[in-house]
Amino acid sequence: MTDTTESTGGDNELPSTDATALDRLKRFGGGKLLGEMISLFIVAAPERIAAARAGLDAHDANATEMALHSLKSSSAQLGAMKMQRLSEAGERLAHGGSLDGVDSIVQDLAREFPRIQQWLETSRNAETPQ
Amino acid sequence: MNTVAVVEDNADNRLLLQAILDGLYEVVEYENGVDALAGLAAHLPDLVLLDISLPGMDGNEILARIRADETLRRLPVIALTAHAMAGDREKYLAAGFNDYITKPIVDETLLLGAMEKWIAAGRAGTI
Repeated sequence: MTDTTESTGGDNELPSTDATALDRLKRFGGGKLLGEMISLFIVAAPERIAAARAGLDAHDANATEMALHSLKSSSAQLGAMKMQRLSEAGERLAHGGSLDGVDSIVQDLAREFPRIQQWLETSRNAETPQ
Repeated sequence: MNTVAVVEDNADNRLLLQAILDGLYEVVEYENGVDALAGLAAHLPDLVLLDISLPGMDGNEILARIRADETLRRLPVIALTAHAMAGDREKYLAAGFNDYITKPIVDETLLLGAMEKWIAAGRAGTI
């Protein structure tokens, strides 16, 4: 795996993914850790997006902030850079007590996730031939 | 082997720390503050890695309770957090954390170096 990045356009043309994060996880714990981290993220990320949305529906800035904070951290560890940026932007808004604008960020996260899931699953399968 | 208590609600972060610390430390995991405080009192570790954003009792409150407890107060406690805005490091050190490591973990040697340093300080009684 190389340190290539993939731009998906938009978001000021910043990269959507950072493969060096996956290399790092392999260094920490080999392909086994990488596979397990990817599996956990694929399950947890939609749950955190749903929790952020539930917080918005309940006008609960703290719950929204907590969900986006967790998503930011996990996204960063797995190289999902656009998801990290979106989560951080939403977290900052919610931390300030305002949920204005967070709804569109959560929608962007939901749109970005399937692309990240595909990228991570491809990366995992490349490590462990099926 | 020294024992490290990891207080972290996210399974992915616990898994990552297990991998990094495997073979170096005995790791005891807690998912929330209530379990952590009870566990720390029952089995005193050599160091605590404490997440800040936890549901219910957050890391700041857990630290305050550790520092207020006669048995636990000299435990080395490192904040492990994705709160990495300007001024956060100073804020956490002022609150009584011994050190501050940001997530995502990019350079594990920073974490391991800080752990080694503060476990030694704890043993030397300089905390």
